[in-house]
Amino acid sequence: MVVAEQTFKTELEAYEASRDALVAASEGKYVVIRGTEIAGTWSSYEDALKEGYGRYRLEPFLVKRIEGVETILGFSRDIAPCPS
Amino acid sequence: MPILNGTMVSGLGPLLDIWVGASQPRIAALRQAGQTPPNPVRVRALLDTGASGTCIDDQVIAQLSLTPTGVIPIHTPSTSGTPQSCLQYDVGIIVDNPQVHVVRFTLPIIAAALRHQGIEALIGRDVLDDTTLFYNGPNQSFSWSL
Repeated sequence: MVVAEQTFKTELEAYEASRDALVAASEGKYVVIRGTEIAGTWSSYEDALKEGYGRYRLEPFLVKRIEGVETILGFSRDIAPCPS
Repeated sequence: MPILNGTMVSGLGPLLDIWVGASQPRIAALRQAGQTPPNPVRVRALLDTGASGTCIDDQVIAQLSLTPTGVIPIHTPSTSGTPQSCLQYDVGIIVDNPQVHVVRFTLPIIAAALRHQGIEALIGRDVLDDTTLFYNGPNQSFSWSL
């Protein structure tokens, strides 16, 4: 597992476990997750961030867009993202 | 809509200076914790229609002491068809120059080593989609309405 996935392993597993329900109810919105706790969903990225920082302060939390088909970013320039 | 006019930089394209800082929600959390938010960092950015997301040099992210708040898969010419998961950071991007005064975006970005390419940020289509970019090749100039 790459570093990026390892960093949010528990949160990503919580997302996957609830993914179908989240997609059915809130596709296109943003979910905030810390550990196994799903804090809720918000219509905008900024609102989700506000809730994440408001609730968890500077502790780690995940903000993720809820999508039936996961977006993959594409870069025509060869970049070396960190960490991989 | 404010318009920023610029000239192309040979070999690179439409470049401009922007400021990158912590997002407003993170700044609020830092202040609430009694910490001083980092000063925004001025970076050289390329308006890149070949990037679907925005990317900031990893040294800038380190300078701002940001912690990740997301994960997203990416494709680049070297990922060979298999997406690579990448951490995302929430930032505030500020465009502030004599032509355009303080236009602010809050968005998730990925970090990558860009400095060796002569730039420190790629402004991707996540930002460009909300703006209008006119690329004037014959005049080697561009106009960005935002």
